[in-house]
Amino acid sequence: MSLEKKYAKEVKQILAKYPPEHKRSAVMPLLYLAQREEGYVNKESMKDIAKILDITETEVASIVGFYSLYHDEKAGKYRMQVCTDLPCALRGADEFLDKLCGNLGIKVGETTEDGLVTVEAVMCLAACDRAPMFQTQGPDGIKYHEYMTLDRTMELIEALKGGKE
Amino acid sequence: MSKQVTLTINGKQVTAPEGLTVADAAKLAGVDIPVFCHHPKLEPVGMCRMCLVEIGRPVFDRATGQPVMENGQPKIQFMPKLETACTNRVSEGMVVLTQSEKANDGQRGTVEFLLTSHPLDCPICDKGGECPLQNLTMEHGSGKSRFNYDEKQHLEKMVPLGELIYLDRERCIQCARCIRFQDEVAGEAVLGFDERGRHTQIISISEPGFDSVFSGNTTDICPVGALTTVDFRFGARPWELKAEASICSQCPVGCNTTLNTRREAKAGGEIVVKRVMPRQNEEVNEIWLCDKGRFAYHYTEGKERLTKPMVRKDEKLARASWDNATKTAAENFVANKKDFVVLASGRLSNEDLFNLKSLADTAGGEAILYSDMDGGELTQLVGVGAGTNLGTMGKGDAILVIASDLYEEAPIWWLRVKQAADRGATVIVANPRATKLDRFATYTIRYSYGDELKTINDFEKKSKISDAFTKAKNAVIFYGNEGLGVTGTSVLSSACANLLKETGHTGSANNGLIGVWQRANDQGAFEIGFRPVADLEKALKNKAVYIVGADPVGDDPNLAKALKNVKFVAVQDIRETATTEIADVVFPAQAFTERDGTLISGERRVQRFYAAVPAVGDSKPDYAITAMLAKQMGVILQGTSASVVFDILANSVEALNELTYDALAQVKEQWPLVGRNDVYYGGTTYDNTKGLGVQLIPLAQAGGAVKISKVRKEAALRPKDKELLAVPSNKLYDLGVTVQTAEFLEQRIGETSVAMHPTTAKKFEAAEGQVVKLSFDGVQAEAVVKFDETIGTGVVRIPRSMGIAIREPVVAKVQVKAAAGKAK
Amino acid sequence: MGVFDPIIELTKGLGETLRSFLMEPTVTVSYPEEKRPVRPRFRGRHVLKRYDNGLEKCIGCSLCAAACPADAIFVEASENTDEKRFSPGERYASTYEINMLRCIYCGFCEDACPTEAIVLGDNYELSFLNRRDAIYSKDMLLEPVSSENMLTPRKVEAGVFTRSVPEMQNPTD
Repeated sequence: MSLEKKYAKEVKQILAKYPPEHKRSAVMPLLYLAQREEGYVNKESMKDIAKILDITETEVASIVGFYSLYHDEKAGKYRMQVCTDLPCALRGADEFLDKLCGNLGIKVGETTEDGLVTVEAVMCLAACDRAPMFQTQGPDGIKYHEYMTLDRTMELIEALKGGKE
Repeated sequence: MSKQVTLTINGKQVTAPEGLTVADAAKLAGVDIPVFCHHPKLEPVGMCRMCLVEIGRPVFDRATGQPVMENGQPKIQFMPKLETACTNRVSEGMVVLTQSEKANDGQRGTVEFLLTSHPLDCPICDKGGECPLQNLTMEHGSGKSRFNYDEKQHLEKMVPLGELIYLDRERCIQCARCIRFQDEVAGEAVLGFDERGRHTQIISISEPGFDSVFSGNTTDICPVGALTTVDFRFGARPWELKAEASICSQCPVGCNTTLNTRREAKAGGEIVVKRVMPRQNEEVNEIWLCDKGRFAYHYTEGKERLTKPMVRKDEKLARASWDNATKTAAENFVANKKDFVVLASGRLSNEDLFNLKSLADTAGGEAILYSDMDGGELTQLVGVGAGTNLGTMGKGDAILVIASDLYEEAPIWWLRVKQAADRGATVIVANPRATKLDRFATYTIRYSYGDELKTINDFEKKSKISDAFTKAKNAVIFYGNEGLGVTGTSVLSSACANLLKETGHTGSANNGLIGVWQRANDQGAFEIGFRPVADLEKALKNKAVYIVGADPVGDDPNLAKALKNVKFVAVQDIRETATTEIADVVFPAQAFTERDGTLISGERRVQRFYAAVPAVGDSKPDYAITAMLAKQMGVILQGTSASVVFDILANSVEALNELTYDALAQVKEQWPLVGRNDVYYGGTTYDNTKGLGVQLIPLAQAGGAVKISKVRKEAALRPKDKELLAVPSNKLYDLGVTVQTAEFLEQRIGETSVAMHPTTAKKFEAAEGQVVKLSFDGVQAEAVVKFDETIGTGVVRIPRSMGIAIREPVVAKVQVKAAAGKAK
Repeated sequence: MGVFDPIIELTKGLGETLRSFLMEPTVTVSYPEEKRPVRPRFRGRHVLKRYDNGLEKCIGCSLCAAACPADAIFVEASENTDEKRFSPGERYASTYEINMLRCIYCGFCEDACPTEAIVLGDNYELSFLNRRDAIYSKDMLLEPVSSENMLTPRKVEAGVFTRSVPEMQNPTD
């Protein structure tokens, strides 16, 4: 079902917040809406949003690609987004990410076998001084984890596992 | 001219128009500031940081508002850091240093950064040799890098963005020129950035990929080899290519092009055209070219080219000498003197058409233009005035586009009209269905097929739209043949001409009527005296026909039938066609790439094209063949060279009076400066050194009395039950011989489909994607149904040149084919 | 001048001959049965080199043709596929011709080559009966291979030979 039909009321409400000639600005809230159920924006939704806002699909995909809070692929229960931008890299973020992936037995962008954690490398999360750091996105919202070490991360993953059980 | 400001660049005092960026002002003054992301046709963004310069501005006393003086000179305050020349506008008293040590250091650093992840695979890169990154690295790079080669990004080498354009992400420097071109200039934002930081990459997820007819232009302005065309992929190195000026022969816009040629082993050691590049003409195509013009030139090559004259002998076409072939034809034409007909198309040059017309006139024959569109005699009267430049139309001006889908018929006009709309011009789009121009239109009029005349007549009534048109400073009307044939366009063009005359929009620059013709030189054919006829079948029946540059047999079964009952057929073409198969005599002609000539664009600009490659086989230019044939018929025509024919033409046709090849080859300096050694600035578009052409003066501008015949209203067609009104429309990539031969365009041509309103389709129980049988007027055809909710009910829209012969609106029977096609 | 003077002179001369016959090494060789080895930097007939795995080093970049002062080289490129691979990377030379009559054996092509594919070898024995034979085509210039499975074009594993130009190395000093 198209986004417009499925969330008719919400879409209308969102669009009402923007002047009709600038309705393309509604792309952000609409993407949140599209992502709400599955945790990512699928191709169909992108098409729908492009149609609603009279912009191209590529423009919508571009916005999804730019922000680390929008996703175009299905992931595990928690997304673990490690910042690997320059200041973080100087503080060992790359190394940290490598070790983390090694420990979990996955590659960057992959999900652990139990479907709990997806590890991603992202651009600046604005916590350069507290690197290595990552944010988790999951059922309980977005959380920052700073000054991380491998041990503390593994503990966190255990805790997340516990939370699930 | 806008206000001028004076500034100092590298110690040299220069003046530049206010509002210009420092980078552009420097260019104007002959100072090169290196740029990657900046392009004179795009809005500045300051993304690449290559144009870092030192900028100082005079200090003003806050209390008095006077400049602070120091040693008798205004005190200049330099910014502590370097600034981008592309985002700073010039201001009075500004001081710019582009070569200072600090500036050089900044530029050197930028190159070093840009190269941190560039693969440096210049030897295999199609851009190598005309690459801004290569050139600027040589000029401004340090030659050494402090970065680790191990950390270069390694990505898949080639990602097709569509079937026409390939992306190499490793080479991309994220300047966004392509994205910005698609968004700002073409108005089709089908390219975008994905991801962030070092992972940033170009994506296109349109269907089909990179869905724009302007996509080839992005490869011209790409400052690296990230975007390359599939056609030229590994085709040649740029320095090996020869360049010859030409004119695009695909549509009436008359884009200036450059043909790049090279000797090729794959072509059996012949010299062939390797690519078509735009050539700057700011009044015609600026520096752009549509994909059809860029890619659909392959029809001039291949096995189907005619190389030898042929004469029918014992029911079979056999090779013959020129003498024999022309003699045979001449004898037959002389024997059937009263029934001599010349049928020629606007694919031919003015020289060819002039000789044909002279022959027809002298031999007592009729000269017919092979076209579904009439009205050329009106564009001679009230066509756009000399000096017309769509690029100067903007606020206060109006452009009406009626019965034409410019995007499909003349893409560069679409682009120019869209840009006029961006500048504030009132664009009125009147069409029976939605077109891509609607998005940029101020007003959209949706009429029913058949109501074209009424739509124009409604401009006489007072309304917002008619006011906007009438009161506009300048107004231009584009009219086409969507849903119309010869008769319909004749009526429509008269109505348009009348409207222009009554509103005073004739006889001056940026005012007048433009025909969106089917072929490049239809306007020229009208100037020379060719006219289309409403009933071509009747006009050909029992005649001795000389067909030049047209394929009536392949286009229309009715014409094929008509040509079976003729006394004699001589066909002159560049390729084997269905018509050459039935011919009694076949003359091989040279393609426009092989000879000189002139074309007249829809804006009535006479432009020259030049021979770029040697002729195939024994082929000769059309005008020369006609002269040979004429000689055998006892008529003396010039056929030695195009310029000689043109001189006579210019003396015989009043509108062209006193024009010479020299005048057509005149150039003047154009802004922006492109195509010189500094490919980094304007892209790889060619500079115009071979002529800007001359725009003809319409009668209204010359002060002549303009008389427009009264518009006749014809009876509308009335489809009965189980019948539909079938109307023709035009498609950019069709099965026409000029497009079909480029294999990689196959997907864009697509299957033959007809459009119907869902309600209409429902009545015939046809689902989308289903195959229906159409029968009308002796034509039987099958096509896939596509829904179009924007057209009226009771109508089926059939694209021209897609295998279903439709020249004008007709009543058609529609039947759903029993076995339903797969819905897509 | 004495009567014996000529004889003395003759003996002196023959003595020199005898000396050089006995004392100096032989420099003439009985060409063509015997061939003198060329110097290491000798510039003879060109060879198009292969990598150890048999893939052609030439990527059809045409830089040799650009560098050639005699305009003796003609190169035309085409696209590689993993199914039909000639050289590593995307591009290979589908036509490579050198006109040996035009060539002045300057070695600029060798200098220009980014992959060290074209090398001037040690063969100086070029003779032709007509001008056409002087044009050496790619199959004449290519280095022979030691085994059948090293011939080009050949099918290779997908995604292995993706780069045309050898990677630049970090300086080791």
